[in-house]
Amino acid sequence: MPRSGFRWRLGTEGVVVEHVNSMGLCIDLRLPLDRFCMELRHETRRRVTGIFGISGSGKTTLLELIAGLRGGATGRIAFGGELWMDSEAGVFLPPEKRNIGYVPQEHLLFPHLSVKGNLEFARKRALERGLDFAWVFANVTEVLELGPLLERRAGELSGGEKQRVALGRALCSGPSLLLLDEPTASLDSALRLRILPFLCKVRDRFDLPMLVVSHNPMELQALCEEVVAINSGRIVASGVPVEVFSQDTMLSGMQSYGLQNIVPCVVERHGAHSSYLRAGKSGDGPCLCAPFCGHRVGESVLIAISASEILVSLSAQHGLSARNCIPARLLRMRNVGHMMSLLVAIHHSLPPLAVELNPDAADELALREGSDINLIVKSSSLHVC
Amino acid sequence: MNANEAEAAFEAVRNTLAWAGLSMLIVMIPGCLLAYHLARSDFFGKRVISALVSLPLVMPPTAAGYLLLRLFADNGPLGRKTLGVDLGILLDWKGVVLACSLMSMPLVVRTARLSFEGVNPRFEAMSRTLGRGRMRTFCTVTLPLAGRGLLAALILGFTRAVGEFGASVVLAGNIPGRTQTLASAIYSAQQAGRQFQADILLCVALFLGFVAIYASERLSLALGNGGRRG
Repeated sequence: MPRSGFRWRLGTEGVVVEHVNSMGLCIDLRLPLDRFCMELRHETRRRVTGIFGISGSGKTTLLELIAGLRGGATGRIAFGGELWMDSEAGVFLPPEKRNIGYVPQEHLLFPHLSVKGNLEFARKRALERGLDFAWVFANVTEVLELGPLLERRAGELSGGEKQRVALGRALCSGPSLLLLDEPTASLDSALRLRILPFLCKVRDRFDLPMLVVSHNPMELQALCEEVVAINSGRIVASGVPVEVFSQDTMLSGMQSYGLQNIVPCVVERHGAHSSYLRAGKSGDGPCLCAPFCGHRVGESVLIAISASEILVSLSAQHGLSARNCIPARLLRMRNVGHMMSLLVAIHHSLPPLAVELNPDAADELALREGSDINLIVKSSSLHVC
Repeated sequence: MNANEAEAAFEAVRNTLAWAGLSMLIVMIPGCLLAYHLARSDFFGKRVISALVSLPLVMPPTAAGYLLLRLFADNGPLGRKTLGVDLGILLDWKGVVLACSLMSMPLVVRTARLSFEGVNPRFEAMSRTLGRGRMRTFCTVTLPLAGRGLLAALILGFTRAVGEFGASVVLAGNIPGRTQTLASAIYSAQQAGRQFQADILLCVALFLGFVAIYASERLSLALGNGGRRG
């Protein structure tokens, strides 16, 4: 059996996982559950894939099947050219042989160990995989800011701290695939926005394939290159996050959240009452004005803009109090019930934004796919995380 | 109380502690493994095994002793004539240890099972995703998390063995210096009217019992939030 297709290497920017062969994750599974029969077939070569679905749609079950913590399914799972499960051939690789980093929803930090003990739990495996453990440990501790917590016990940590330690423990084990189960679901909304940048840092610093399960579209948009939406154990949509989430079949599952756009930005300068950000990972997009934030100039941040808080105008407006007027091109228009969902491009390096509009307004403005428009956004509608 | 009486009392206490300790050495490991399986897996005959193990707890101890006596009697299934070898159980300290082991087994298994059931199995699953196999996970995650409960099981089992009377008297008799235990020494002293010796032994019994119950209460208090806390 070939070794896993990813190999860890120390790079100048962080730990780099080399794709020895670019075989991604292939799943083809059937599993009868209480209320439905799970039937999934998907192959992904993207580095960060999101699994989206409302609770009870089978997301966590899928993750447990991939981790090898649950049996009873028929079909096969392969990752990086290595067969993990094949019910026909009778192959079932136990979880300890799959080299995964699993971050469960309830964190499951070992209560009898300190934070340091938790992080060092998989030291042996990391060493067996040829990693310089001290180096990885130092790196993980730095990225996730775990230094001050090392001597504490798991029971003494807050929710957000537990999440970071659980993430750190998985990373310290030198996994070739990171599985995140609802990484922010157990946190309140303020904490959720605080944890998201850590997840992005992990994604960027550790070049590691990730599978993120979530019922929160915002989180998946911020993290993933590809989203697979599942419902009642079946795949109902897959593709680039914003496209998946702007489909009408998806919207019913997201009512409680509304559709959020996540835009990576770089802090350009601070004014007296506002902060000015450049959109785009490298900061080459349009300038955005947000409420004053405490981030350093040059720091990368994420901003969330609700699709329903964006106005559309045909001309660059004067005499409006809104601080942002962003030129954009209308890519696609879809009617979703009594709402019109638009996809608009603001910059070539950024994924398109979703905008929600009243269909009558769209008629009145005579919007067409391909027309040039302006997006009007109040600075207070930009939530910096 | 003359020097001989004191010597006999001291010997009974010393022997009792040694035999109870030895029976714990015999019972703890198989008892914990059985308890772990009863707590974690579902297998055919699980309830029957669970009931059989608990049986000595609800049987009259003399009945259990008589059962052992029949098993190890010369003509019994494990007796001298059947096996062709004399195991030397009857009227010997080995008989006391056997009786102590049998009678403390239910307490050990039941307490250990409760403490294993108190360990969230997801911690074990987590350990396996981090590359540790079943055995290492059991030793490095399950045992430490169940540790306090297992210690409580050990203490309860040990005190049950120290207090053992009915089964060991039937199987091994009450021979001073040879098979006499703390319990049977008190009985003998009281029967023979050696009141002072009985009082001394009573104090020893009270002391041992109090220490054990106090310690296990403290441990089981801590057991409630031992493994579940995440």
